[in-house]
Parts: sequence; structure tokens; C-alpha cells
Amino acid sequence: MARAERLLAGLLKLERWVALAAFAVMATVVMVDVASREFTGTGISGAPRVAVYAMIVTAMISFGLASGTGRHLRPKFVDRYQPAAWEGWLTRAQEWIMAAFCLTFAIVAVGVVRETYELAEMSRMLRIAIWPMQTVIPIAFFIGAVRHALYALYPELRPKPKGVEPLVR
Amino acid sequence: MTTLAFVALIAALIFLRQRIVVILGVAAGWCYVVWGDGELGYVVLDAWAAADQEVLLSIPLFILAGNIMSRGSIAERLIAVMKIATAPIPGGLAIATILSCAFFAAISGSSTVTLIAVGAIMYPALLKAGYSKSFALGALCAAGTLGIIVPPSIPLILYGVMTETSIADLFIAGVGPAILLTAILSSYALVVNWDRGSAALTLSELGHAIGHGVFALLMPVIILGGIYLGFFTATESAAVAVFYAIIVELFIHREMKLPDLEEAAIETATMLGSLIPMLMMALSINTFLAYEQVPVMLVDALTETVTDPTAFLIMAIFALLVVGCFMDIGSAILILAPLLAPLAFAQGIDPVHFGIIMIVNLELGYLTPPLGLNLIVAMTAFGEEFWTIARSVLPFLGLMFIGLVIVTFWPGLSLMFLD
Repeated sequence: MARAERLLAGLLKLERWVALAAFAVMATVVMVDVASREFTGTGISGAPRVAVYAMIVTAMISFGLASGTGRHLRPKFVDRYQPAAWEGWLTRAQEWIMAAFCLTFAIVAVGVVRETYELAEMSRMLRIAIWPMQTVIPIAFFIGAVRHALYALYPELRPKPKGVEPLVR
Repeated sequence: MTTLAFVALIAALIFLRQRIVVILGVAAGWCYVVWGDGELGYVVLDAWAAADQEVLLSIPLFILAGNIMSRGSIAERLIAVMKIATAPIPGGLAIATILSCAFFAAISGSSTVTLIAVGAIMYPALLKAGYSKSFALGALCAAGTLGIIVPPSIPLILYGVMTETSIADLFIAGVGPAILLTAILSSYALVVNWDRGSAALTLSELGHAIGHGVFALLMPVIILGGIYLGFFTATESAAVAVFYAIIVELFIHREMKLPDLEEAAIETATMLGSLIPMLMMALSINTFLAYEQVPVMLVDALTETVTDPTAFLIMAIFALLVVGCFMDIGSAILILAPLLAPLAFAQGIDPVHFGIIMIVNLELGYLTPPLGLNLIVAMTAFGEEFWTIARSVLPFLGLMFIGLVIVTFWPGLSLMFLD
């Protein structure tokens, strides 16, 4: 379990840095483009495309951040009707299903990226291949599959739900 | 038969505590594999196409601006202005609470952040001034919901993306209903606190407070003014909001350091990591539905049974009220907007107006058990029982319902600032 814990902590750290870098690129490119448009009357060619790709990378890598901090939304209205004794198997089932979902989408996404590569699809504005950007989808889902499988094996490694600090005690 | 199996599958996923992204992903997969031509890869392709849109850039930027501005003492500065400005009015502190929530919501864009930021200061202040616990809790929870109708609002952006409606128009259309709801809540605060004392307005103090809070007060004006006067698109205004927030917090208020900016960016990225994959899956379902002409079939079926727009709106209101009790607003918009919007358009209802109706409607869901987000946040933040808070919001819920009815049946309120 200690190795799994170290792996998850390392993953989260890596995701933080990649997400932060991609987010910084996105925000900077949009702001510089808007400033250029406002002050010189013309934007930077291709800037919105770069920003969109950076946003997709941010969002997909942050899929792991949301998993690692327990921030994915889920409907909770049936929780109260489930007996407390079921908590253990429900938790494991939740994580196994999420892992299977992520793995399925990772495999399917690999196929889609391969197809895009073989068709040599290009971004018309930037004149670059699209597949390297699309690769983030299978990567994010594959990391998600590993993470949630580890949560299923070691439920104590799951992030605690983020609560609200009491303002009045 | 396959429909029954689909419903059973979704119910099983909810029972097994699956995240919305999984539920939407499985639903999208089912649509393509069982009801479509059997290719799961289409879900990924649609998901890519859904994320590959420049209009989505406004979402992370507005969230980032809100996260930056919520970290400093903006709430304190706004509250100081509102407290002094409303001092001559009976129940001024209660009105100040509601106005502070409205203004702070316009900056943070989040109902729960508004509730916590303003509540941290105003809840103890209201109790100390002799207001009942029930009134204080109700006022804060209700006014906290204004965050989703006061532009810039992420739910309005989501509705715009899902229904291809102009986000700039939605922002402008949100102003009238936001003012109406703020006025209704403030009027109630005035009436129930009429016998409370008031103080004289000190212009020098007000000037001093405005001087301290002017940069916070200006943010909504810059964003909305820029859009309204045609200077910015929604995405451009989001970029300006981030730039403005960074300048104000780093160099003017000087309450933020670079590591805080990093944390705000990480917080924003984490929210994106939850929101954008959900949006991608929802838009994949949307694409499938459009390809299979489901909205057209729904419109045809509905126009045979419902011929009156008023009847449709009443049905929509009650359906959305029920949905709001069980589902968070983001998921509800992602799932229901593509289905309900074409029905509304077929009834001759303006797409922008219907968007506002939908958002105000789901806004009430923040206050309704069992999943009212503001009730749950208030329960933890203020250390009160869930049902105590749920009871305290009842009069406010009634008032907001009246507001919803006005917004629904008076399109001019939403559309008056649009060409």
C-alpha cells in the first residue's frame, strides 16, 4: 500500500505541474491576444486555437486532479437509503466501475488518436497535426483507470470529501 | 425494451454511486452502440469536437477571475460599502447582506463562495444586531444563490454552449432578473425589519468605504459594460476580468502573492477537470440526439399535446423545480437544456429568455432539500441543523418563486437590454 500511496502522490504532483503549465499558457495566450486586438486592432494569428488546445490539456490532465481531490460530482440522493453495512462493497464497486469506465475510454481513445494520425488530420489555422493534442484524452483516462483501481484495492487512499471549514463553532 | 434497459442501467449506476461523468459517458456509449450504428469511438470524437470550441475559453477564465478575487478582502470591502449605504434604512444590515451577496456573486460567479465569504462576516453581525437566527440563515442562503444569475455566470455559459445561444446576450439578459430578485429579497428584509432602528448616513464614511471598495465594485461594471457596449465578446471579457483581478489583487489591494495565484489556478484547473469532461460527454449525447432528430420528434410530439406556450412554461417550471431538488445545476443544464430548449423555441419562446427561466428555476434548487447546495454548505459553515436551515429559507423560497413567475411570464424583463 505504501508504494501505491507514493505513486498516487507522485501522480498528483505531476498532474498539478502539467495542469498549471497548460493553464498558464492558455490564460496568457488569451490575454495577450485580447490585448493585441484591443490596442492594435488585430489579434495574434492562431492564438485562440493554441488557447483551446491548452485548455483541453488542462481539463483532461485536471480530470486526475479532480479524482485525486474527490471533486467529481455525483448524485447522492440515494446514499441515505443505503445501509451503513454496505459502505465497504459500495465504495469498492464505485471505484472498480470508474476504473473500468476510464480504461474502456482510454482504449477507445487510443483507436481514435491512431485514426487521426493515419488520416494526417491537421489544424487548419496552426498547420500542425492534431493527434499529439488528442493524445491527452487516452493518457488522462488511462491514469484515471490506474488511480481508481488503486482506490478500489486500497479504499483508505481515497481522498477525503472536501468539506467547508466551520465559520461558527 | 432497450429504453427500459437504459433506464435500469442509469438507475444502477446512480445506486452504485457513480460520478456524473461516468453516467453521461455510459449514456453516450449506449446511445451510439445500442441505438446508433455501434461505434464507441464516436463518443470520443464528439467529446473532442465538444471541447475544441473557442467559446469554452470563457469558462476557465471567469472561474479563475472569481477565484482570484475571492481570496482577498473583497467581501469585507463590499460589505463595508453596503452597510454604510443602507444604514439609514430600517433593517439596513439585512439589506446590506443581500446587496453584498449580489455584488460579491457578480465577482465570484459562485453561489457557495458568496454564501461563505459574505456569511463569515454578516452571519455573526446579524445575530449580534438582534436579527433572528432563522432570518439570518434564510437571507444568506437565499441571497447567496444570486451568484448563478448575476453575470458572469458559469451556468449561463453552459446553457449558451449546449443550446448555441449567445453568451453575451445571456449575460445581458441576466441583469434584469438579478435586479428583480435582489429587489424582492431586499423588500422582504425591509418589511420584516421595519421596526428596527436606523442610523444617519455619514457621507464621509461612505466616501471612505467606496474608496476602499471601488475596484471590487467596478469589476461587474467593466465586464457587463464592456459586453453591453460591444467592446468585448464573452471570452474577451473573461480575459479582461482575469487581467483586472490580477492587477487589483497583486498591485492595488496587495493581498495576494504569487503562490496564491498558483493556488487559484490549481483550484480552477481542478474545477475544469470535473466540469469539462462532463460537458464533453453531455455534448456527445447532444450530437447523437441531434443526428437522430430526437429534439424534432419531441417537438412534434409536444406540439400535438401542448399548443399553448403558457401551459408549456408551467410544465417546464414544475419539472425543473423537481429536477433542482435532486440534481446540481451544472448537470441539470448539460442534460436538460438540449431537450427542453428546442421545445421552448417551438412554442415561440425566445432562446435567451428560456435560458434565463431555466437558470432562475434551477437557482431555487440551491435551497430545496434534499440536495440544496446552499443548505448543505450553510449547515457546515454555520453549524446548524439541516432542517433548521431548510425551514429558515422557506419564506425566501416563496419570494424567489414569485420572482421566477415574473421572470417567466414577463420576457421584457430579460430582453429589455437586448436589441
